[in-house]
Amino acid sequence: MTNPVRYHKGIKVSEHHGTVEWTVEKIALAILMPLAVWSAWNAFILAGADHQTLMAWFASRVNAGLLILTLVTFFLYVSLAWKVIIEDYIHKPGTKGALLGLVNLTCLVLVAAAIFFIVRLALGSAPLPAGFGV
Amino acid sequence: MAQPSPADGTASDLTGLETIQPNGRVRPLSPHLQVWRWHITMLASILFRVTIGAASFAAMFVVAWLAAVAFGPQAYAAFLAAAASPLGLLIGIGLTLVLFSFLLNGGRHLINDTGTGLTVPSANTLSQISVWGPVVMTVVFWVGLFATGRVSL
Repeated sequence: MTNPVRYHKGIKVSEHHGTVEWTVEKIALAILMPLAVWSAWNAFILAGADHQTLMAWFASRVNAGLLILTLVTFFLYVSLAWKVIIEDYIHKPGTKGALLGLVNLTCLVLVAAAIFFIVRLALGSAPLPAGFGV
Repeated sequence: MAQPSPADGTASDLTGLETIQPNGRVRPLSPHLQVWRWHITMLASILFRVTIGAASFAAMFVVAWLAAVAFGPQAYAAFLAAAASPLGLLIGIGLTLVLFSFLLNGGRHLINDTGTGLTVPSANTLSQISVWGPVVMTVVFWVGLFATGRVSL
């Protein structure tokens, strides 16, 4: 079941959802550019900082919010980028599907863990495990 | 430029871009990694994929850093000690190299995606910046870290 072939300015238009994915990838990368500068600056400031300094840094809603935005955008971008790379080199449907699933699952787990840690640090919660399984 | 002659069995072009087939005919070499003349734009393009791969692993170290801070001062002290070891410093330098490569090479990709910067001179310049810029920025970053006493050996 394929859609009719369409052209835009002499270039074939994606038959499925490739155009949306490409656009999302570009928007994510554009958002990441200023955030990368912000990350480099804060990496410089926070290198070797003690625990107290870090807790004060995370207590700022701007810092915590921008770090969450950075990581969510990054993992969205990186999962789409890996999708492009996998689709370029892996053509066996089963292997391709398994790898795409693995990449998405890994990204989801990492971003969920990161948000969990950042929110706890921003709220000044007690150090983990703090009642989790202990 | 002399056209390859199909019948006489001698390559007219001496740049190595033509080959003599077993049947004696001169044919252009097909582009392949081993016969393609290397160019900086190729290197920048390949390095961006490498950067994305490396950045994926770098992100795991960032999540590990978050975990160490969230698990309290003791866990964070252990993380800092590991980061100050020779291997830790090497990883740290790698992380900043990946970050700057992501910034500059990603910027090149974004500019080229809008259809600009695609003339030969501008594509070359953008590629040179994205290949060598990260190395320069990483050196400056770490010299700064040592000079301000944030990191010491």
